[in-house]
Amino acid sequence: MRQPARTIGGSPSLLQCGPALAGSILLGTLLVLAVLAPILAPHDARTLFEPLLPPSPQHPLGTDDIGHDLLSELFYGARFSLSIGLLSALLSTTIGTLLGLLAGYKERLGYAIMRIVDVFLAVPRFPLIVLMAAFLQPGAGTLLFFFTLFGWPRAARLVRAQVLSERNKGYVEAAQLIGARDRRIMARHLLPSAAPIALPRFIAEFQHVIVAESGLSFLGLGNPLVKSWGLMLSFAFRYPSIMVTDLWVRWALPPGLCITLVVLSLALLSYALEEQAIPHLRAWKSSATLLSQAAYATRSERPRQKPGREGLAP
Amino acid sequence: MGGQIWHALKGMLLILASIGLAGCRTTSVPGPESATTTPTPEPLVFTYPGEDWGYPSPFARDPRGPGYVRMSLLFDTLTWKDESGVVPWLAESWEMSEDGKTWTFDLRRDVRWHDGQPFTAEDVAFTFAYIREHASEISWSGEIAKVERAEAIDEHTARLTLSDPIAGPHSNLFGSVPIIPKHLWEGIEDPVKYLAPEALVGTGPFTLDTYSKEEGLYIYQKNTAFWGGAVAVDTLVFPKVQDTAVALQAGKTDMASFSGNEITVVKQIEPDPSYAVLPGPSFWVLQVILNTKRAPFDELALRQAVAHAVDRQRIVDQVTQGGAVVANLGIVSPSTEWANPNLPGYAHDPDKAKQILQEAGLENQAVTIIQSGWDREAELIQADLEAVGLQVTVKSADRATVDGLLKEGRFDMAISGHGGIANPSTLRTPAWPATTYENATYDALFAAQSVEMDKPARRAQVWELQAILAKELPVLALYHPLMWVVYEADAGITPFYTAEGIAGGIPIELNKLIFLER
Amino acid sequence: MGTKAIQTLLTLLTLVSLNFFLPRLMPGDPLSYLDNNDPGTDSAMLLTEEMRSQLLAYYGLDRPLGEQYLRYLGGLLRGDMGWSIYYNAPVWNVLWGRLKWTLLLVGTATAIYVTLGSVLGAFSAWKRGTPADAGLLVATFALGSWPSFFLAMLLVIAFGLHWQLFPVGGARSPYLLDASRWEKARDVAYHMVLPVAALVLTQFSGVYMLMRNAMLGVLGEDYIRTAYGKGAPERRVLFQHALPNALLPVVTMIAMRLGFVLMGSMFVEVVFAYPGMGTMIREACMARDYPMLQGAFLITMLFIMACNLAADLLYGFLDPRVGPSGAREVRSA
Repeated sequence: MRQPARTIGGSPSLLQCGPALAGSILLGTLLVLAVLAPILAPHDARTLFEPLLPPSPQHPLGTDDIGHDLLSELFYGARFSLSIGLLSALLSTTIGTLLGLLAGYKERLGYAIMRIVDVFLAVPRFPLIVLMAAFLQPGAGTLLFFFTLFGWPRAARLVRAQVLSERNKGYVEAAQLIGARDRRIMARHLLPSAAPIALPRFIAEFQHVIVAESGLSFLGLGNPLVKSWGLMLSFAFRYPSIMVTDLWVRWALPPGLCITLVVLSLALLSYALEEQAIPHLRAWKSSATLLSQAAYATRSERPRQKPGREGLAP
Repeated sequence: MGGQIWHALKGMLLILASIGLAGCRTTSVPGPESATTTPTPEPLVFTYPGEDWGYPSPFARDPRGPGYVRMSLLFDTLTWKDESGVVPWLAESWEMSEDGKTWTFDLRRDVRWHDGQPFTAEDVAFTFAYIREHASEISWSGEIAKVERAEAIDEHTARLTLSDPIAGPHSNLFGSVPIIPKHLWEGIEDPVKYLAPEALVGTGPFTLDTYSKEEGLYIYQKNTAFWGGAVAVDTLVFPKVQDTAVALQAGKTDMASFSGNEITVVKQIEPDPSYAVLPGPSFWVLQVILNTKRAPFDELALRQAVAHAVDRQRIVDQVTQGGAVVANLGIVSPSTEWANPNLPGYAHDPDKAKQILQEAGLENQAVTIIQSGWDREAELIQADLEAVGLQVTVKSADRATVDGLLKEGRFDMAISGHGGIANPSTLRTPAWPATTYENATYDALFAAQSVEMDKPARRAQVWELQAILAKELPVLALYHPLMWVVYEADAGITPFYTAEGIAGGIPIELNKLIFLER
Repeated sequence: MGTKAIQTLLTLLTLVSLNFFLPRLMPGDPLSYLDNNDPGTDSAMLLTEEMRSQLLAYYGLDRPLGEQYLRYLGGLLRGDMGWSIYYNAPVWNVLWGRLKWTLLLVGTATAIYVTLGSVLGAFSAWKRGTPADAGLLVATFALGSWPSFFLAMLLVIAFGLHWQLFPVGGARSPYLLDASRWEKARDVAYHMVLPVAALVLTQFSGVYMLMRNAMLGVLGEDYIRTAYGKGAPERRVLFQHALPNALLPVVTMIAMRLGFVLMGSMFVEVVFAYPGMGTMIREACMARDYPMLQGAFLITMLFIMACNLAADLLYGFLDPRVGPSGAREVRSA
């Protein structure tokens, strides 16, 4: 008899260790390279050499159309892209978690917050980016602001869903009965239950920002004088002969690969995280299941009486 | 349960597919009556890449060059231009009165509209009157406002009376205004929104077969009853392509144009004997506008220092890969006779720049540059200016934003460009040479040359204008990008560049004359 | 019930107003594009200040903002979306012309990656721990981590230019004027292969992981164990017990994500010059075409709301506890 349940609760296989290891090593390496960029990069990314030099010992990847050393650009681009990704993911997840907690716990405030969330999720991003690029200098600060602004609603929504389903559990009611203050309940009881939601969300947001930032630079909406992977791609594909020569291999492929590797490492970490939690099915649920649970809970306007039991009874 | 979902998915796919296929109809414009003769054995299809430039009626089209050119294939003007100059077109000959205010045109007699109706002077008179009345919806130059009266003297003679003489009317007026049929446009109140097939009835060598807005596709069929002779091409296709170089080499198009740093592509294709390359003029200028209306660029010394500091040749070499020429400081295109060759130069001399700054007490001055899309140039200019001690910040935004700031005069330096520099009338417009430039002498001189009918005298005035610009430096002209047309040598069509540009100065090589058997 | 309706109406009104004011916040005006003089786009004529102000008056842009707003609302109520300044056509015509292509592209891609992702995700969960599962995981991660525009570019370079198997862009060839319907359809399909591939490869991993997790979650439940205990055949356990329950969160998640699909395909559309909504919105933003942007955002917004509604309904339909007949169907093993 086929037993998928066999591996549940068993000793961790390579499948379970492998991704976490691979992901951490990959991400770790990239982060270290980014941090050490000023030391590791062969030249200053802003210095101009001969344009379009082929790869050589002085310029392992050659130079671009006005003479920047491509490898140095890659290093400094790592700094920019990774720091934007990390910071905005951190900020938006933190803000989103806090607001989600509030929204889940306090009914009326929660309602207002959720309406704001709805609006944010429905508002088209592209003109806002153009707007932002118009009024503020499109650079690190603006991008950070923009991504945080659009990142927190998603985290808030998920955390709120989790809080809603936890809120009606016994221990919360008990805490309320003995007179614990709201803040204490939220911090000591609800926040830990939100953590398993927040962490995957953080990783997903990091992935999203890395890709989105490069996409925006690619479309020409970033600051063209700041080195980032997306900008390298943008200039590469703006060059007229890029697709009919082999130039793309050393100009476009490296930054594209770097972005892919970051996303890949994050995906591996995210996978490892979830795999860890799956054996403990009753305590932890995937975000999707939580969301649908919450949707069910709010729609039927009855608090869930029996947590932990889901699905049909045979 | 799972089966239901599967059925639903299949159904969704089916619906989507049928929507897609059902919607796959281009807006086919029913061709106006052109005599269907027996088709030639192998219809010659000529392809040229482009994009959407609006519905090609005289008023609904995109007002910019490529939109005009697509319309000009359907409609004719009184006069036209070929590679050497003005040629008669709908008007066989013309006469100007002594005072230059009255023009009489002797029109061709064998012209018919696409729907078969005869073309008469009534149509000419109607056209000018109609455009004057509905001029608010079209971006014609101020010249059309000078037409006081347009009348048909007899069936084939038209007379235009102007309020003031116009210098070079064949570019800006007679050679630009398309003649429209009175019997179809009479009573049309809103020409911009008139998108019926009747709006495309003209006298030109082609009729429009298909237009798809979202695909930027135009397909023209030849007008077999064209008054100007046989049309060499049966079908003209303007598809939208992602990469013109790729399309050309894959044989998907017969002709393609390139400019600026696309010289690399041209150089790649050039050795191939199946392609011919035609180098074109440089009718466009990229410049740095210096805001003379406010500090710090109200100081001539700073402007001069900038002129010496910026290495324009390096920009041409590195950014355009040699696909441009260092600009004429007087802006006017060096490919025309209007360019002044005797202008003072500002050699690239960082030491001299530093000296000028020191003497004026302007070292370490902080300046900002605004630009959109000229990233590489901005970077090089920033490097050059920082090398002489200025603190430079570059602000980038999208085009419309930068244009807005330019209009309001909220900038120090701005990198921006424009075309039309083959025509001296572009030396003074509200936007050019710069919104922030005010000089009464300059304006007076410009007004004088625009009514000067004697060519050498006018040229002297135009040269003088450029000398003022080179001395005052309200703008630092950087470079003129070059142009090339690459075409299949055996496509049967030989393009040329129109002298001083099509109509008012459109530098494109799509002059309808190339499609006629001449 | 009444409050819910008022709620929705209020949200709608807010969003419609946002649609109106947002484009106007961008610096510049709808006539800015006429000043844009890229090399090769010089006008036949020059736009004077007088012409400009007359044009502004023609488009009603010189009226006070409040009046423009009310006119816009009035137009919407009458079903008139306005006239696009940049495209010089009724807004709806331009919208539909683009929308149909985006729907075709994204619809096809969605159908493919949803099916593929669900099937493979379920399979992966079922065979958890086996090499098959591991292989699928690795493949999914490897393919799904590419940024969409980069993958699209690589596909163009490889299959479009290098091996010349597929067209490098566009929705269809302009040369098939007299071709039959079948040939035209084939041509469209041929042009869709690479863009759809780009979309599928980048989006598929999301659905796959979702399905796999949901399935794993379900498979560990008591009732599954009970089903086995009762001796139910594997197939029955999988298809009648596990899959339906796993599908619930997956389907709702997909339906919600679908709403953002219109904007999400922008990169792929740009790379392949596919005439869809994404490229149009970008152009309209650059040109500050207010009516067009208002219309495009309205449609996007309605689409998102429709997808959310569909998600809700679908959920209700799929979850018999909430479904039309309440707690009916008890699936006995």
